[in-house]
Formats: sequence, C-alpha cells, structure tokens
Amino acid sequence: MPSLISQPVKRRLVIVGAGMAGSKLAHDFEKAHGDDYQIVLVGEESRVGYNRIMLSSLLAKDISDADMSFVDAQKMQEDGVDIVSNDPAIKLDPKNKTLLLASGKTIKYDQLVLATGSRASVLPIKGGSAPNVMGFRTWNDVDVMTQLKGSQSVCVIGGGLLGLEAAVGLVKRGHKVVVFHRSKWLLNRQLDEESAELLLNRLTQMGIEFRLGESPESFKQADDGRVSHVVCQNGEQLTVSLVVMAAGIYPEITLARAAGLETGRAILVDDQMKTSHQDVFALGECCEFDRQTFGLVAPIWTQINVLMKVLVGEEAAFVIEPTPTKLKVSGVNLFSVGKIQPSEEDSCIFFKDVSANHYRKLVVNDGLLVGAILYGNVADGSWYFQLIQNKTNVSDMLDLLVFGEAYCCPQVA
Amino acid sequence: MTTTMKTATSVKTTCPYCGVGCGVNLTLPHSASEAVPPVSGDLEHPANFGRLCVKGSSLAQTIQSDDRLITPIVDGHPVAWESAIKTVSAKIAQVVKDHGPDAFAFYLSGQILTEDYYVANKLAKGFIGTANVDTNSRLCMASAVVGYKRAFGSDSVPCNYEDLELCDLLIMVGSNAAWTHPILYQRIAAAKKQRPNMKVVVIDPRETATCDIADLHLAIKPGSDAAIFSFLLTDSVQAGILNDDFIANHTNGFEAALSQAKESTPSLSLTADFCGIGEQDLASLASWWRDTAKTITFYSQGVNQSSSGVDKCNAIINCHLATGRIGKEGAGPFSITGQPNAMGGREVGGLANQLAAHMDFATPGAQDLVQRFWQAPNMATKDGLKAVDLFQAMEKGKVKVVWIMSTNPMVSLPDTAQVRRALEKCELVIVSDCKAHTDTTAMADVLFPATGWSEKDGTVTNSERRISRQRGLLPAPGEAKHDWWAICEVAKRLGFQSAFSYQNVHEIFAEHAALSAFENNGKRDFDIGHFSQITQSEYDALTPVQWPVPKGRPEGTKRMFEDGYFFTLDGRAKFVAISPSLPKYQASQEWPFTLNTGRVRDQWHTMTRTGDAASLAKHTAQPYVEIHPKDAKRLGIKDKDLVRLTSSYGEALLKAKVSRAVAPDNVFAPIHWTRQFANASVVSNLIPQVVDPLSGQPESKHAQVQLEAVRDICYGLIISAVPLVLSECLYWCQVPSEQGYHYEVVWPNGQTQASLKAIDREQDKDLAENVEWLEYSNPATQQIRLAKLVDQKITMLIYMHSQPKSILADWLISKLEVNTPLSLVDRLAILVGSPANAEEKGEIVCSCYQVGSKQIEKAVSTGICSVDGLGAKLKCGTNCGSCLPELKRFVSSVVELSA
Repeated sequence: MPSLISQPVKRRLVIVGAGMAGSKLAHDFEKAHGDDYQIVLVGEESRVGYNRIMLSSLLAKDISDADMSFVDAQKMQEDGVDIVSNDPAIKLDPKNKTLLLASGKTIKYDQLVLATGSRASVLPIKGGSAPNVMGFRTWNDVDVMTQLKGSQSVCVIGGGLLGLEAAVGLVKRGHKVVVFHRSKWLLNRQLDEESAELLLNRLTQMGIEFRLGESPESFKQADDGRVSHVVCQNGEQLTVSLVVMAAGIYPEITLARAAGLETGRAILVDDQMKTSHQDVFALGECCEFDRQTFGLVAPIWTQINVLMKVLVGEEAAFVIEPTPTKLKVSGVNLFSVGKIQPSEEDSCIFFKDVSANHYRKLVVNDGLLVGAILYGNVADGSWYFQLIQNKTNVSDMLDLLVFGEAYCCPQVA
Repeated sequence: MTTTMKTATSVKTTCPYCGVGCGVNLTLPHSASEAVPPVSGDLEHPANFGRLCVKGSSLAQTIQSDDRLITPIVDGHPVAWESAIKTVSAKIAQVVKDHGPDAFAFYLSGQILTEDYYVANKLAKGFIGTANVDTNSRLCMASAVVGYKRAFGSDSVPCNYEDLELCDLLIMVGSNAAWTHPILYQRIAAAKKQRPNMKVVVIDPRETATCDIADLHLAIKPGSDAAIFSFLLTDSVQAGILNDDFIANHTNGFEAALSQAKESTPSLSLTADFCGIGEQDLASLASWWRDTAKTITFYSQGVNQSSSGVDKCNAIINCHLATGRIGKEGAGPFSITGQPNAMGGREVGGLANQLAAHMDFATPGAQDLVQRFWQAPNMATKDGLKAVDLFQAMEKGKVKVVWIMSTNPMVSLPDTAQVRRALEKCELVIVSDCKAHTDTTAMADVLFPATGWSEKDGTVTNSERRISRQRGLLPAPGEAKHDWWAICEVAKRLGFQSAFSYQNVHEIFAEHAALSAFENNGKRDFDIGHFSQITQSEYDALTPVQWPVPKGRPEGTKRMFEDGYFFTLDGRAKFVAISPSLPKYQASQEWPFTLNTGRVRDQWHTMTRTGDAASLAKHTAQPYVEIHPKDAKRLGIKDKDLVRLTSSYGEALLKAKVSRAVAPDNVFAPIHWTRQFANASVVSNLIPQVVDPLSGQPESKHAQVQLEAVRDICYGLIISAVPLVLSECLYWCQVPSEQGYHYEVVWPNGQTQASLKAIDREQDKDLAENVEWLEYSNPATQQIRLAKLVDQKITMLIYMHSQPKSILADWLISKLEVNTPLSLVDRLAILVGSPANAEEKGEIVCSCYQVGSKQIEKAVSTGICSVDGLGAKLKCGTNCGSCLPELKRFVSSVVELSA
C-alpha cells in the first residue's frame, strides 16, 4: 500500500569546492541533517575528499595513495550526497539562488557554501606561466612531480612550509633541488632566525641547496616555451627541468567576486560564516574573517562546526584561536604556535642546544604564554598549545617553562 | 680452601676539633693506596663514650687533601729541609744579635700538640730569651685563664664533664654548644631528658640551636653578661644562700666584691634593664639559682671574647665561691675551651704572659726554677707580647721574625688589614702548616710542611683537664715533619744541641711532666709528675687521664678544690670586685648595627680541614649574615641577597639570612670563610683590635658596622671540572664538592652569554669541533644558563639569575663524572639543575644522612610529629645528632600552625 504521507521536500545545500573543507562539511552535514537536506558537493578536481595535507608525504614517498583518503566519497554518495566532480562552478547567481557549472549544468540551492580554497601564487616573473612552472596544491601536482624521471634539476620558489615539503619530497625522489626564499631565513612566518638556522642545516644535509634572501630574476624559456634556466639576480643561470611555485597562496574568490559578494583579500564573512548575501556562506581558505584568512585545518574545522549549527538556524559563532604549525618532513621536528616575533611588551625565553638540534623559544606577555617555537624536540608542543588556549597564568613557572611539562607539572609518583 | 683475611687495625686517637676532645677509632687501610675508612667514636673515651659529632664523623674525608704542603719552600721555591732550616736559623741569629731576643716571636695554635708547644716555649723563653710566645688560644680562652688565676691563684678548671650531667641547674653563658661542642651538648640533652627537672638556662644575645633544650633563654644586650652574675651575688645575700663557712675559711675579698655588686646592680629591675631582658625572666633565673645547689655555669667565647672578659669570668666565679658551689659534684664555674689543645698550651706555659708549667714570670722563684730545670742560657725575664700587641709591634718593626704554626691569623685575628700590614713589614715570616694555600701561607717567606692529624703524634688536653693521645698512624706525605722536630732542628742550628736533641716525642712529654713536678710539692696545681719517667711503650699505651697526676696518684684528679685549698699564697680563693661594663664600641649613627660573630654547625675554624669534606659544606654552603626581619625590610634586603658590611676597618660581602634569632639592630656572622673559599667574606676585616686589658683577648664578638644591600647585581652558580679564576665576579664562594669545583657567585649587572662563556679562560685550548654549548636564557628575569661540553662531557655549567636562587648542585656535580654521552633528557635537565620529577631535598639539615629541609617538611606534612618519627622514616638525626635542634623546629612549627 502506497504511503499516504508525501515525502516533505528536502532543502538543498550546495557546497562549492570538494577539497578538505567542503568534503568534510558535506560529510558531517549529511550525517547530522541528511534527512532534511539534499546535499550537493561540487568540485573541480577529479578526486574528491582526499587529504590535501598529506600531499607532501605522498610526494616524499612516506605514504602511499591508499593513505590519502580523508572522506570516503563513495560511502557519502551512497548516503545520498550528490557529488559532482571534475566540473568547476563558473557562475553564482545569488538573486535566483542558482549555480552554473562548466558543464552547463545549473543547480538551484536553498543555501550555498563557498569552499573554493586557494591557489598557488604565481610570481610576476617573466616566463611564470610556462608549462613546466607549477604550483603544489593538488594531487594532480604530485602526479606531475612523480612523473619526473631520473635525476632532474628542480627549482622551488619559496621556503615556506609548502615549498620545503615539496623540496624534501623532490630530493627524496633523487632530484637536485634549489630553493629560492625571499626572506633571510626559512619559514619566516613560523620560525625565528636561530631555529631556522637549525632547519637550514638539517635540510642542507639532506641535499637541498638554498638561496636565501633572493628571488629569481627571470625564467629563461627554451624554444618549446618551457623554462630551461632560472636566472639569478647575480646573473648566474641555473639549468632546470621544473619550477615549483610555493611563494604563497591566494584565496580563490573569482566566483564570489563575479557574483557581487563583498570581498577583501578573500570573501568577507561574519562570525556566522555568512557572506554579504542571503543564504550564501563561505568556509576555509577562501573566507576572510576579522581581516584574517586561514590556511591551517584547525580553525577551518571550527568554522565547519559553526556552519553545522548556523545552517540549521542554531546559534554559533566563530572565534579565532592560535593554531600550531608543524612541518611534515620526516626527521624534522618543528612546532610553532602563536606570536613568535615578540613585540616590545613581550619577553622571550630561550633554550638552545645546537649540537643536539634542539631549540625552544617561548614568548610571554603579562604572565601568559602567547607563542612558542620548538625545534628538534616537540613533545611539549601540545602542552604549550594548551597553555596558550587556556590562557593559563605561567608567571610562577617562568624559570622552568621552557623545559617542558615534566618540570612544570611533575607527576604524582 | 682457606683464605687469609688481613684484619684491619683500629687505633684509638683523639679528635682534632673542639675542646671536648673526643676519642676516635681510626681504622687503617690495608695499603697506602686505599682510602681511610670512616672513623667511629671510641666507646671507652670518657669525653664521648662512642659518640661523635658530624665534624668528627667526617674526619676520614679530610685525610686526603689535594692541597698538602709537602716540601719546605723558601721565597716561593721548594728547598730541602736542611737548607730551609739554615735560612731560618741564620736570620733568627742575626735578628737576635742585632735587635735583641724580643725581635723574634712564635705565634702558635691550640691545634698543635703539647709536645710541640713545650719545645717552642722552651726555645723562646729559655734559649733565645724572649717571652714572645703567643697563640691563637689568646683569641679563645685567655680571659678564662686570667679569671681562674685571679680567683684561684692557678689556671685550674674545677669541673668535669660528668658534672654537666649531674647538675640540677646548668647556666650556659655565651655558648652555642649545640654547634660548637656538640657532644657535650648531647650529653647535657640526654641528662635533661632523663631528669626533666634539670633546668637549662641559656644566656646569649642570639637565639641559637642551644636554646632548643633551654627552659629559659635570656637574650641579653651584647656584652652585658657580668651584670647578671653581679645581681645573682647580691640576690644570694638576700636569699640567705651564702655559704658563710666557705667564705670565711677559704676566700678573701667577699665584702668588697659584694659592695661593688650592690652598687653596680642595685635591683632586679635595673639589672634587667641594663641587660635588656624581662624582669620576670631574670627573676626566674634568680629563683632557680637560689634553689639549686648543684649549679654549673658553663661559659665559652661569648664571655671570653670581650673587652671585659676577665671580669665576666670573675663575676661568675664570685657567685660560685659565695655559695660554695665549687669543688663539688655537679657544681662549679666551668670554662669550655674552643680548641683541642688550648689546655695543653696553657699547661706548658705557651702564652706570652706565662713562663712554663703553670708558673708565671711573677711567680716567686719561678724564673730561677725553670732556668735550673732547663739549664737555660738566656732566660726571658718578663711577659712577652700578647697576640694583638705582637702584630702591632710587628707593624712597628719591633718584631722582625715570626714563626706562625698551625694557625691562620689573616682570618682569625681582628682587623685583617692590620695583620696584613704587620706580616708585610716583618722581615721573615715562617709558617708551618699542613696546607699549601691559606690566607696566611700566602704571606710567608718560608713554609715548613707540617704533619697533620692522623700523622702527628703526642698529647692533647681537653676542657676537663683530660690528657689524651693523638696518635701518629699514617705516614707523613712528602717531606712533611712534626712541628716539634722542626723547632728542635732550628734550636740545634742556633747552637742549643743538647737541650733539643730528643729522639722521640715521649721524651718531650716526660720532660714536660718532670718540669711540672720539679720542686712542686703541691704548691702548683699542674703536676703530672707520674709521667716524668714515662717510657715509649707506656706513652704509646697512655689512656685518657685528668691532671693533676702527681707521683703516686696515677688515677689523676676528677675534680679540683674539693678540699677548699686554692693555689694562692694563703691558699684562699679571691673574690674580685666587678663593675659590669658594655663593649667598648657602641652603636652610632655612622655604624648603627652591632655585629656578633660565631660558628656554624659543620665547619671548624678557617675550614682548612673541614673544607676538604664536601658533606660538611651542605649545612651552610656560603658565608652569611643574620639580620632581623625588621631591619631587612627597612633596608630592602631579602633572604639570600648579597649584603655589604662595612666598619671603620674594612668590609665583607655576605649572604643575608633573615632571621628572628638576632635582635633588631644586631647582626651575626660566622667566622669561617677565608679568601681560599670566598673572595670577600673575611669577617675579621670588620673587627677592631679592642682587647681585654687583663687577658689581651680581643673583643672579636663585637663590632659596630653598617649594612647595605648590594645593588645592580645578578646571582649565579658555576660548576667546573677545573678551578677557575673568577676576577669578574663581585663575589664568589667555592663550596667544597665531591668532584670538580662548585662556585656560588655574584656578578655586576650586564653579563651576556658571551661574557659568561669567556669565564673559561682555557677555552682556546679546546678544539672548536669538540665543544658544544647548551644555552638557556630568559631575558625578562635576567636568567642565563650555559653548559659547556667537551667531547660530550660536561666541563662547565654556569647559571645566572637576577635573584638569589638555591640550586642544589649535587646532581649537576655528579654529572661531571659521567663518561657516557648525555641523554637528550639530561641535556635539558642540566640546564634545569635536576632531572624531571626528581625529589627535591631542599637545604641539607642532616649531614650524616644528607636529609634536606623539603624532605623533612614533606614527612611532617604526612603526619609525622616527632623527631623520633622523622628519624625512623628518614634516618635524619639518628647518627651524630647535631641536627636534632633543627629537626625539633620542623616538628614544632607544625604544632604552632595547627594550634
């Protein structure tokens, strides 16, 4: 006997971007509200829901393809999420609440979340758009690099987290790598000069060559358009087969801007993750809150938790908290959180054991720990992170703080 | 199968530290290369019956020293004895010829043996012809000697140690026996525990560890002691407790003494006011004094080291004479000497105002008697120069040759700057010592290497007149020789062969005994004629005995004056009229603080020997000054801060110890630290050369000083595998350690990691690639900590803090010895100062078992509320017992809190 009660019409949530943020939101939202919502996840990549963070480990052959899974896309689909992959969104019409995809498909939405992520910055250098100049953002990028045969010369532009991870991965694959870094020291947003020195020593030992305080002058292209040499500022020319751009990222906001959403460096959102337009939200690397953008997962997971409530009309608010950074290079232990360049009112505590490659720097302000750099031994990283998050007053343990939890909170034997 | 075990031989000898003179068993090692095993107390010795204090217990640790003087040195160069003796004798002969015998002087010590003393005294007073034979005993009990002599006609200590246990009232005046004479204190404490009715009164400006067993503590105004006894004399009359028969038959001068006492201390309230104590407290003492026939007055440096020390002694003795409380069991005025053989020195006459064998120059017939006995060619005819006068004469160029033996006047005499000037002026300074480096050997032209304890062979006399043997058991290292041998060699070279050709030390003792009996016939108290024919084997077998030991009385004499006969011309004791006076210098606007001096529990004198035992440094590692919290607050001084004390004579840098043990406007500092252990903490720098006019004993327990916190400094700790020259430090103190070198330091502000690394001047010698630096810095608190590793072994650790901070160095020091590369955890830990989760001991309270304050506090917090309970749990206090007063405070502080 057919049911007399008609199925209620499900509301439709469209998520633009099937990277980690979009996939996780789709997954979690389906679990929580799948009965009331039809969820559509739209992605431009062919692979959906993989762990982008692990790309460097994949490149370094520390893990295999099978370890890359983050959200089980197939299971999600079985549960009713509509996944549209390999089909970038090209137009958002907030007035009519529709989204146009490259394939020509138009999707109507009740609520829409932009999770379009970011892209590798391409330096304004002549030859920057040559075919063998690439970013390091996607599984595809890793594919390109892994297909590089034999021992090739590779130039990595940028000595930040991503650049160093790419450089290590490429060196491990037997390539000869030169890293250009504009600042005086590596990871200048996460490390201070002394800890960066230790890192530099370690990476140099691994075979990576560094040119610090230097950007390439230009790329010299061969007849086929490919970059054949990187021209240094002193005129020196380095032969290269591949250039990896890792000189920062920029939020992908083309769609939003075209749709008339308010943007700054990224799509402006309030603490509810709402954009300037009704029922349009933004999440992850493409959003900007309180003049900050986001590149690490921890705050983005918080944003997802906020959206999980806001989308169904519940109260929630996003608050920015410091997030620790680690470099995913095996054999290199590094932890950085919070404010690491002290201002005048801050004070710093240092521990340095160069021969053991051990360095610690803590930034303290008015009895509170506000930042930490650990290099070599990062076991206490999470404890310091807790102290920062919990705003624990550390005035009474300043003398022991840098030596870690074991000294400051002795176990009751 | 059988194995032959060589049984270790245990030999009885006597402790070389305080005047208690405890018997010690020393077990000889099987071979010279082995260390001497820890000593034990001699169960049969009547001074200690097997007990030893912490200093005595640690004797074995001090036998091996890195700093022994092992060869004679002339003008900085090692020479043979023959040559050194020639140099010295030629100069003495020349100076005596050109300037007379008084241009020569001996400055001896209560540390040397009776036989050493005897030949020095004989050489000077009978053969060179000068009475310039003085000794550091001048600083210790010279006032007590004169006090006894004024009253009894002889320097006779009436009592014995048993009397301390048998008395019903013990009045301890100017004595912190708990720390300075620990075994006597423990015997007293045990007696009091057994007979709780026994009363103990402590009269001391300071609340010392000795107050622990006191029923009453009179915290008198410094130096006002005599008034208490002046009052007790008048009170005895009122109370009707005078022994009229005794006064009438055995004394002179009572009326004059009483009328002076009535004038000086007319009432209880005026006396209490003069002494700065409560009337009720003085009344309690008076009432106990009235009621207790068996009273001992036990006095020490607090009485003696005073510009009126002799008068204080006689004020005490007057009370005992008036009540007949003398020559009886459990009663008498009992002076306790500081040194192991101050008494032996007195017996031979080794003081400038004595001739020999308890005879003075003024004793009728004495000069002739001694001259005949010695067959002396050049008898001295008058008193020589007492210690302070001697060094003043030296500065004036009158004394041109001084032979200093086994003492450290650069630290122990008042006004070190004057002593330095005197020694610089002196044409020939001879120093006999077992240590190569002391503040005084630094001033010497000639150094004679002396044998030390366990090598020296002879006799000592303790505070109860008991002669015991110190036995020579271990071979002398290098060219070290006995002091008596060196003196005799010089004497022979001066042409006195026959009088100084002793083959063995017992011959000297026999001669000394013979002199004591020579034409004595009971006229002189000191008579040990029984020993005048003593043989080598009898001497070797000598058991402790109390003099007098005249012929026919081999058992010796337990107690003096039992028959009421005194050694004055008429056989009667003398009352001395006393008018109490305060120390010469009083507080002024310029010098508002009154400095008192004394000792700490675990160190002896100038640390030349106790400084070799690392365990003894743990109770008190650094020189300090006790300051009342009120004064500290006013001057902005916190506990452990570096403080500068200044007086008109000099200055000293000491660590503040904020404590209610001292009264406001008063400070206390221990005397032990020399320039060998700390660069600027010699307390005698501050002390004026004020002496008692009768005894010549300096008022070393009293100086007027100014006090200020040292500003703009940071504090630190340095541990090094090699000794360091720390000239950039404002203050440094080397704390004796098991291995390596441990310094507590203070720098002027402005140190950097680079400047601290440069402390190691040897650094250029290390190959750069073998050197690792571990660094910690916290600029906010001005903290820097550095560890230097060479070939992965720690060679230096430097800790710097803006505030004084106690870091227990033991664990760090133990890491100096580690031969395997440090673990990563330890690499972190060496800049913390302890392994993570390690139990923190706190400051060491029990030196024997190395139990610290924090362990004790923890045990107390778990409910242990008695000293016995602490002992059962932590073992603290169960060996030597020196820390029992402190342990008691831990327990009682909890009771106070919970009350």
